[in-house]
Amino acid sequence: MIKTEEYPVTEGIRFRSIPDTRFKTLRIAVNFMLPLEKETAAAHALLPFLLSRASREYPDFTRLNERLSELYGAAIHADVRKLGEAQVLSVAVAGLADRYALEGESISAELSHLLCSILFDPPLVDGLFPEDGFEQEKRQTIEMIDSDFNDKRTFARLRCEELMCDREAFGINRYGSREDVTALRREEMTKVWERVLRTARIEIMALGDCDPVPIYDSFLNAFKKLDRTPVPELHTEIIKEVAKPREFTDTMEVAQSKLVLGLRAGAAVPQDAVASTKLMSAVLGGTPSSKLFLNVREKLSLCYYCASRYDWNKGIVLIESGVETENIDRAKTEILGQLDEIRAGNVTEEELLAAKLSICNSYRTVGDYLGGLENWYVSQAFCEKIQSPEEAAEEISSVTMEQVVQAANRVVLDTVYRMVGKEEAAE
Amino acid sequence: MRMEKITNERVQDSYYSIKHPSGLRIFVYPKEGSNSTYAIFGTRYGSVDTTFRRSDEKEICKVPEGIAHFLEHKLFESEDGDAFARYAKTGASANAYTSFDMTCYLFSCTENVYESLEILLDFVQSPYFTEQTVQKEQGIIGQEIRMYDDDPQWRVMFNLLKALYHHHPVKIDIAGTVESIAEITPEYLYRCYHTFYNLNNMALCVAGNIDPERVLELCDKMLKPSEQIEVERIFEEEPAGVVQERVEQKLSVTIPLFQLGFKEPARRRTVQELAQTDVLLELLASDASPLYRRLLDQNLINTASFGSEYFEGPGYAAVIFSGESKDPDAVAKEIRGEVERLRREGIPAEAFERARKAVYGRNVAALNSAEAIANAMISLTFAERELFSYIDALAAVQLPDVQKRLEEQLLTENSALSVVFPIK
Repeated sequence: MIKTEEYPVTEGIRFRSIPDTRFKTLRIAVNFMLPLEKETAAAHALLPFLLSRASREYPDFTRLNERLSELYGAAIHADVRKLGEAQVLSVAVAGLADRYALEGESISAELSHLLCSILFDPPLVDGLFPEDGFEQEKRQTIEMIDSDFNDKRTFARLRCEELMCDREAFGINRYGSREDVTALRREEMTKVWERVLRTARIEIMALGDCDPVPIYDSFLNAFKKLDRTPVPELHTEIIKEVAKPREFTDTMEVAQSKLVLGLRAGAAVPQDAVASTKLMSAVLGGTPSSKLFLNVREKLSLCYYCASRYDWNKGIVLIESGVETENIDRAKTEILGQLDEIRAGNVTEEELLAAKLSICNSYRTVGDYLGGLENWYVSQAFCEKIQSPEEAAEEISSVTMEQVVQAANRVVLDTVYRMVGKEEAAE
Repeated sequence: MRMEKITNERVQDSYYSIKHPSGLRIFVYPKEGSNSTYAIFGTRYGSVDTTFRRSDEKEICKVPEGIAHFLEHKLFESEDGDAFARYAKTGASANAYTSFDMTCYLFSCTENVYESLEILLDFVQSPYFTEQTVQKEQGIIGQEIRMYDDDPQWRVMFNLLKALYHHHPVKIDIAGTVESIAEITPEYLYRCYHTFYNLNNMALCVAGNIDPERVLELCDKMLKPSEQIEVERIFEEEPAGVVQERVEQKLSVTIPLFQLGFKEPARRRTVQELAQTDVLLELLASDASPLYRRLLDQNLINTASFGSEYFEGPGYAAVIFSGESKDPDAVAKEIRGEVERLRREGIPAEAFERARKAVYGRNVAALNSAEAIANAMISLTFAERELFSYIDALAAVQLPDVQKRLEEQLLTENSALSVVFPIK
C-alpha cells in the first residue's frame, strides 16, 4: 500500500508526500505546469536549467556541485516535458537518507534548503540572472535539441508528433524551437522566473526516507511571501475526427528507415474513460505477446522493434518501427491490419489477459522507485480522480473485451511519417 | 548445501549466498516492503568469446561473430512455444541482454514470482534451434544491426574500441554483422550452448519480494546438473599500445560525439582498486571538478552528455570519457592535460574527500532498486567480486592509493580519440 499525505499550501499548489523508510534515499520534486505556447516555450524550458545551476548562497556552479558531492553524491535534476498541452518544468533534489551519512550529517534538511534556495533565491545581479550561466544554459538547451536529432528512433517519434499536431499546441517542441531558444534574452528571464512562481500550477512531492513536515514548512513559508495569482486553466485540445490521413516523408542519410504512424485515440483525460484505450494499445503493441510483436516482428521478421504507445493526456497513439526502405509499406499495411483485427473483435481471451497482467505488473512496480512514484502522481494532474497504482490496476483488470474492441474502433489514422534512408547511406 | 547469510551493517542489508550442488551460484537479496521481484539468470559468456577450447577436446573452436547475442534471441524459443508466451500468463516483464562478457535473462514481476522463476530456469536450460527458426531470426537481428548502424553513440564506442585494440574481440560489434550472422547454424548454436551454458559457468540473482527457501526448493526441482568441463577462452596477445590515436566517422548528426579511451593492461582488479579508480574518475571529471568547469566555460561539453567510466572485462580494460562536443579534439587535450597536472601537483585532499563521499553515497542509493542490486551482483560474481566488499572498499578508500592509481592509469601514450562528425 502506498501511503500518500496531502498538505494545503495555497491556490494552485499541491504538496504531496509519500514517506517510506524502506528507501535508502529521499527525493523532493517541484513541478511547474504552464500552458504550452510558442511565445513562451523556450523561455520556460530554459528556466529549470538556469535555476538549478546556482543560488545566492552558492552563486558558483562548481561550488554548488562540490556541496552536492559532500552531501554524498546528492543531485539536482532539471527537466522539461509535455503533459498534454501543458509544459511541465521540474526541478528535483535526490540524495541519501540521513542514516547513511558517514559523519552524522543531516542530508535531508540541507537538500530541502538547497532546493528552496535555488528556486526562490537565485543569484541575481542588478535584478538579472548572471550572463555566463544564462549563455551556458542557452547553448546547452540548443545542444539538447540537437541531441534529439542524433537519436533517430526518438527523432522520428518527435517529428511525427510535430507534423501530426502542427496546428495544435502539442506540436511545439518541449524545449521550444531552436530559433526561439537562440533569440532568448537574459533581460526577460527574471520576469519569466517571477511569473512562473506566481502563476504556474505547482505539484510538490516529498518522497522516500524523509520527514515531510519541515520540507512542507519551508515551501509554505516561501510561497506565502509571493503574490500568487489565480492559475490559468490548463487545457488540452483533443481531436477525435480525421478527414483524411496526411503522409510525410523525410529523406536522410541513415541505414535503417523508420515508420511512425500517428493516430487519434478518440479518448483522453479528463472527459473520457481511458483505461480501455490503454489496454487496447497494450494488446496491439505494448508487450512481447502483443499483435505487433508477434506478427510484424516474429512472424514476418520485418523489424526489431514495432511498438504502440498511448498518450492519454493528449489522446493520441503512436506506433513506431525501424524497417528496410523496401518494407515500409508492407509494415504499414501489416500494422494497420493488426489494428483491424482488434476492431473486428479478433482478440483471444489469452491476449486480453496477457495485456492486463502486463499493465498491472508495471503499475504495481511503480511504488518501488521514487522517480516512478513522482511521475505516477504528476502525470495524473489533469485526471478527475487521482488513482493509486493499485486502483489503476483494478480498473484495468475490469475492462471487458467489448470495451477494447470499441476502443480500437475509436482510433483513427491521422499521420503517416516515413524517414527514408538515401540510396547510399552513411558509411 | 550451504546457505550463507551475508550482512552489511553499514548499508543495513543482508543477502543469501548459495553454492548449489548443480554447480550454480545463487544469490537471494530479500527487500522488505518491496512490491516487485527482479530475477536474473546469466552465463559468463559474451560477444568476446568467439575462440575457445573445451577441457574435453583438443581442437580450438572458432565461431561466427555475434553468436552469443544470436543465441540469446533464440533461447526464448523452445519446442513447445516461446518463453514470452509463458511469461504472458504470469504478467512478468521479461527481457535479456548480451554484453561483451555475459549473457543474461531476466524478469521483473509483482505476482506469480515463483511461476515466473520456474519459467526462467526452464527455458534457459532448454535449447531448441532449427534451420527455420535460425533463418527467421536473421531478419530480425539484421534490423537490430541496422538500427545500431545509425546509432552514433554505438558507433563512436566501437570505433574507439577498434582504435584501442589490435586483436582483442572486444572491438567486434556485440550483434556481429549481417554477414557474420548469416554463417550461424543450429549446430554452432548447440555447440556454444553446451560449452557455455553450463551451470558451473552461470549464476542466478534474485532481489526484492522473495523467500530464499522457496528459491532453493525451485532450484532443486529445476536445475539439471551439468558435466564438469572447463573452458579456456583464447585471446591473441594484445600489445600495450593503441592501433591509432584518432578515428573519425561521419553520420547523420547535428552535434558531434566523442569517446576518449585510455587503454591499460588487463588484469582483474581487486574491489579496492576498482573503488580507487571510481573515486579517481569522480574527482577528475565530475561536475564538481575543475576540469568539468573549464570544459563548460569553453563551451566544449554539456551536462546532459559528458561522463566517464571504467570499462573492463576478460582481457580488456580502459577508462573512457564520452560526450557531445563541438570540438572533441580540444576536449581530449584538456582531459589529458588535467591528468598530467594532477599527477604533477597531486590530488587535493578536499577534492578526494568529496569524491569519496559522492561515489559511496550513489552506490548505497543504488541498493534501493532490486533491479540494480541483481544486475550488480551478477556482474560482480562473474568477475569474482562481492557487492558489500565493494561498498566497504569505497568507504575506506585512501588518498595515497588513489594517487597511485593515477600514476598507473590514464596514460596519454595508450589513448585514442573517436569522433562522430555531422555529414555536412
